[in-house]
Amino acid sequence: MAAKARVPDRTLGRLLLVSLLAAFSVATGAANANGVAVGVFAFQGERAAISDWSPVIEHLNRELPGHGFQLRNYDADGLREAIAAQKVDLVITNPGYYVTLETQFGLSRIATLQSPHAARSGQALGSVVLARAERAELVNVRDLAGRSIAAVAPEAFGGYLIAAREMLREGIDPESAVRETHFLGLPMTRIVDAVKNREVDAGIVRACLPEQMAREGLIRMEEFRVLSPRRVDGFDCALSSPLYPDWPIAVTRHFDPGLAKSVARVLLSMPEGQDRVSWSVPLDYQPVLDLYRDLRVGPYAYLRDITPEGLARRFWPWLLGLLAILAAWIVHTVRVEHLVHQRTRELNDSLAAREGAERRVRDNQERMEHLSRLSILGELSGRLAHEINQPLTSIDTYANSLLRRDAAGTLTPEALREACGEIASEAERASGVVRRIRHFARKRAAVREMVDVFRLVEDAQRMVAGMLVSCPEIVIAREAGLECRVLCDGLQIQQVLLNLIKNAIDAARGLSDDRQGIRVRLTRADNRLVVQVVDRGAGLDAAERERLFEPFFTTKPDGLGLGLPICRSIIEAHGGRLWAEANEDGVGMCFSFQLPCHESSA
Amino acid sequence: MNHQPEDCVVHVVDDDAALRRALRFLLDSVGWNVRLYASAEEFLDALAPPETPSCLLLDIRMPAMSGLELQQVLSERGIALPILFLTGHADVSMVVQAMKSGATDFIEKPFRDQVLLDAVAAAVRRSAETLADTGRREGVRRRLQTLSPREGEVARLVALGEPNKVIAAALSISEKTVHIHRQHVMEKMGISSAAELARLMLQADPSALD
Repeated sequence: MAAKARVPDRTLGRLLLVSLLAAFSVATGAANANGVAVGVFAFQGERAAISDWSPVIEHLNRELPGHGFQLRNYDADGLREAIAAQKVDLVITNPGYYVTLETQFGLSRIATLQSPHAARSGQALGSVVLARAERAELVNVRDLAGRSIAAVAPEAFGGYLIAAREMLREGIDPESAVRETHFLGLPMTRIVDAVKNREVDAGIVRACLPEQMAREGLIRMEEFRVLSPRRVDGFDCALSSPLYPDWPIAVTRHFDPGLAKSVARVLLSMPEGQDRVSWSVPLDYQPVLDLYRDLRVGPYAYLRDITPEGLARRFWPWLLGLLAILAAWIVHTVRVEHLVHQRTRELNDSLAAREGAERRVRDNQERMEHLSRLSILGELSGRLAHEINQPLTSIDTYANSLLRRDAAGTLTPEALREACGEIASEAERASGVVRRIRHFARKRAAVREMVDVFRLVEDAQRMVAGMLVSCPEIVIAREAGLECRVLCDGLQIQQVLLNLIKNAIDAARGLSDDRQGIRVRLTRADNRLVVQVVDRGAGLDAAERERLFEPFFTTKPDGLGLGLPICRSIIEAHGGRLWAEANEDGVGMCFSFQLPCHESSA
Repeated sequence: MNHQPEDCVVHVVDDDAALRRALRFLLDSVGWNVRLYASAEEFLDALAPPETPSCLLLDIRMPAMSGLELQQVLSERGIALPILFLTGHADVSMVVQAMKSGATDFIEKPFRDQVLLDAVAAAVRRSAETLADTGRREGVRRRLQTLSPREGEVARLVALGEPNKVIAAALSISEKTVHIHRQHVMEKMGISSAAELARLMLQADPSALD
């Protein structure tokens, strides 16, 4: 019930709105109040427009009395403003403006001007590009590149744009390829005059204008040549372009559709005739739109702005700044990247160098450890010798002094007691030193692990070779298939090997080259590994061989005589045996030790 | 000049107490006056210029100041004390250095007792000779100092073999006066010839007649 009650309200509101709008349009559109305003683009000046179009207005007023059709002349901007302000109801304009206004204001064409010299298609609008007849080098619109031309205006349809499109089609940009374009405005005859007077190389005018001028006696057609001339069936004027539909008459959006229909009917019924305006059914203005799109003008002007060139033209300072920033950023990035790479490489290099150095230090330390194990024996025995020497000297001195005093008859019981006490304590001191030597030799005997003695021999070979400036050849001979692992203290066995090899090298020192080589043989006998270090050195006589393992016995000028005793005690601590013998051929010595094999694999 | 062993001092510097005592036991047996020091520093603290013949038995290897360093200090202080180094097995290079620096001898441990005693005796003898030389030189020097300045001038020219006439001319005095000075010099020095005078003066000061 409530809804029903409201209906009249709504209807009333609508009526009110309509009458308000009507009142508004009456108030604003003065033209409408006095009749139908026909806005005309007067491209040749007001007087020309009136003379051109007054027959149409007269015809309309005659056929549709009571509507008061009136002619209003506008320039391009004026026409636009008039349409925007709804001051005009009908619009007559050139095709170029029409398509622009159609898009912008929703104009609808109701008829197209029927030119008396129109082609068969009804199209009558084209451009002709003229040059002076003697300019034989100007044949095609293409040839306008680098030339000066005259035209009506940048937005003039027949007087510029149509020809411009042809230049574009021929591959030259009408805006940049042409040296200079003089826009001379209207009347269009100025352009023909400019060409005639050699002010420009060529001129663009609406087709049929030259013929009209020739008819009026202003020019002679022979004075000119037409660039890119073409023939269109039924079209008799010189032409440099295709034809486009002629001027349309259109109604504005607010125009009464019923009246529009009547106007269209009246216009189409206008009689044709020489020099008389007539109208045909509205033609397709798509070619005009295409032209605008190609040239990116009019409704397609925005295309110009979103193309890279357009954007570049509009925003070049920002673009330049952006490019500069971009370039700076790229340079920065590349530089940072480069620096990072460089730093990374440097870091890696230094890391590698450090690792290398650390590895070398480690290697050297290991080598030094082994070396020092060798030299510790020497150093230690030097100190031990001194420590043993001291008590021995004391004992000797006391004993001899006692004898001396006894012989002289001056030996007192006190002196005897003193001397004997000292002798006893010094003897004890000496044996303490010996105990320490033994302790040192045994010290590491607690370590027991499975060791591949062959590897130890190889290591020893490498170490000796690394330690000595000119190391004689050390050949390792392993019994075929020998695989004997020994439960031992690898370091100590290594020490023994180093000692024996070093002794072997020393034994051949100063001898001829054929006595230098050393052989290390590894064999097995009764589940025991036998290692033999064979030299071809100076050798030892029987007496020397006998004392070889006595502490402090040495044949070397700087030897201390502790190496072999310690080696022997090491081997014996491992349940093995160390012995020396002369080689069978009598040249050099063979030092052998054997150790029990604790595990053997086939 | 013969010295009794008990008048002669043998200084023993060794860090090994047992060996120190053993050395005293040995040196005592032949009557040397033995003094023991546990370190070079201890020896230097007690050091005085030797008045009686003496020698130093010095262990070459010691923990703080070594025997070689002590030898150096003594040399710097101008103390003439024969040094016998006690050396170990591995001290060859040190011994060479010690000998180059003027050590009297070295004794390798362990030593034969007679070798040590002989070496000590020889060193003491040398010390005694040095002392005697020094004594003589001091006597001459003292006597030379009793000469008057003019007598000294005359003595120098006489020692150089100049005749009285030349001396008189050189000193601008009469020959007679030269003769008197010459006699005084001879009396004071207890000699009778110019040659003897020259020898004594050179003994007291090798550069006296330059």
